[in-house]
Amino acid sequence: MMTSQPFGAMSAAEIHAGLAAREFSAAEMTASMLDRIQREDGRVHAFLEVTEEAARAQAAHIDDAIAGGAFDAMGPLAGVPVAYKDNMNMTGTHTTCSSNMLQSYVSPYTSTPVQRTLDAGMVPLGKLNMDEFAFGSSTETSAFGPTYNPWDVARVPGGSSGGSAAAVAAGLVPLSLGSDTGGSIRQPAAFCGVVGVKPTYGVVSRYGIVAFGSSLDQVGPFARSVADAARLLNAISGHDVLDCTSQAVETDFAANLDAGVRGMRVGVVPAFMGAQGLASEVKAKVEEAAAKLEAQGAELVEVELPNAAAAMSAYYVLGPCEAFSNLARFDSVRYGYCDPGHSDLGSQYEASRAKGFGDEARRRIMLGSYLLSAGVYEQYYYPAQQIRTLITKDYNDAFQKVDCILAPVAPRTAFRFGEMTDPTEMYLSDMFTISINIAGNGGMSMPVGLGADTHLPVGVQLISPAFKDESMFRAAAALEQEYGCAPVAPDFAPKGGDVA
Amino acid sequence: MKADDMTQHLTDKDVRDIAEYTRIGLSDDEVGPMTRDLNSIIDSLAPILEYDLDGVEPTFHPIGGLANIMREDAEGVSFAQRVALENAPKQQDGSFLIPSILGDGGDR
Repeated sequence: MMTSQPFGAMSAAEIHAGLAAREFSAAEMTASMLDRIQREDGRVHAFLEVTEEAARAQAAHIDDAIAGGAFDAMGPLAGVPVAYKDNMNMTGTHTTCSSNMLQSYVSPYTSTPVQRTLDAGMVPLGKLNMDEFAFGSSTETSAFGPTYNPWDVARVPGGSSGGSAAAVAAGLVPLSLGSDTGGSIRQPAAFCGVVGVKPTYGVVSRYGIVAFGSSLDQVGPFARSVADAARLLNAISGHDVLDCTSQAVETDFAANLDAGVRGMRVGVVPAFMGAQGLASEVKAKVEEAAAKLEAQGAELVEVELPNAAAAMSAYYVLGPCEAFSNLARFDSVRYGYCDPGHSDLGSQYEASRAKGFGDEARRRIMLGSYLLSAGVYEQYYYPAQQIRTLITKDYNDAFQKVDCILAPVAPRTAFRFGEMTDPTEMYLSDMFTISINIAGNGGMSMPVGLGADTHLPVGVQLISPAFKDESMFRAAAALEQEYGCAPVAPDFAPKGGDVA
Repeated sequence: MKADDMTQHLTDKDVRDIAEYTRIGLSDDEVGPMTRDLNSIIDSLAPILEYDLDGVEPTFHPIGGLANIMREDAEGVSFAQRVALENAPKQQDGSFLIPSILGDGGDR
């Protein structure tokens, strides 16, 4: 063992390089990371299941490849640990969506994003906590208990991909996958101080991801560095015959990370910066990031997104309507929770769905049903789709003038458990992220240090035109030069003597 | 928002009807809070009602210009029956088992 630092603090690139240089074996590194999860996850509760057997088997496969000389041809993620939001099927693992409805469900197949990480030689460490069926912004709606923010365990990690963000922030895994329907990758990334990417709709296949809002859902990576995130997106992106919305994307998202931002036009949205509810410490950080990009040679350009203010209400029409439709499949017959002792099918359905779904899932299913009913559809659903047209046009117009847009991710830093009691108040935490899902283009959260008031992580959002996600990666890499790679949260930082 | 500031979009009776339609068996105690929550959320959707959308085409799918990419219509490997049944709460003779829906044991 000649590692210069414990595995928990290492980036994906450092782990891969260490394996290639035979500084340590994949088996050794994997055992050490599994030990670290065993030791530390009690404080953060990011993992719902640790896939120890699959991890050790993949590590053995990697060590064979190293010994046989095949490792170098396997690509930059071979041997790197990864973990998955628990709405992603992986054969033989539980895929619960953090719901009692799926507590006993064992995946009979593997989702495309997970399969692609395995094909890239990544070592699967486990499945990560989330808001139930991804309905939430705090991971508090998980039926199996919340995840705690590694920066302050009295606070939420954000959500719905809270486990994916917290696991990376706590150094339990260098890379993870989450899904983002209205901000569910970007907001927890901001709260936990890590990089989180929602690619353009169509970049990543959703086959095998439990559907929430099919016209909004997209899968993306979490990492502590921009390059690590870009490489993971490279591995999972591209067309898949099993998801006909996935596109033949062959972009190398890691290609232009050193290009700098000189000559790049970066948009700033005055209405976002003046939004009611935007904390001054977050606003200050976005302004600071803008100034740093300008100092590196980017041109700052004010752009307007006049219809973005309607995105929130359009989203809370479209999301529940699609969720209502998608969650109809949980029928207590083919899979999922079945309440025992019913002599008629109707009462079995009603009791199983009442007990299987938590409060927020029930609210959204019932809301979606109401909004799609005759007479109401014309009032809300159809206009929401018209608003989607306007929001998309706003982004298209803005991207005539700029290469990417810089904005806040969340209006404030991580809040305390139980602080948000009104569902509509919680919904506001996605006010800057939702319009991007509605239009479908790319957005990512980039950590820029701690807020001046709360001393908690702040993220800024970089927004790219559709299928030009490489532009936000380029700007993010420029910010990373200023702020450095995201650190492991201080209370979880491996100590000098630790191996992992 | 205080309950008395809210518009009554839905009554308790409406919520009971929606619960029946979505097959979610709400208890009597749960109907009131659910009615209040749903009314509050529907109130927050008001901006949609105020928009002038005359002549605006809807976009039902993001990145509107994209076309679905369809695979060739060819036979492929699918789940074996045994695998498809692995997660069924109840099964019998290679089939999903449900309570009787016809005759004396039927529910409707």
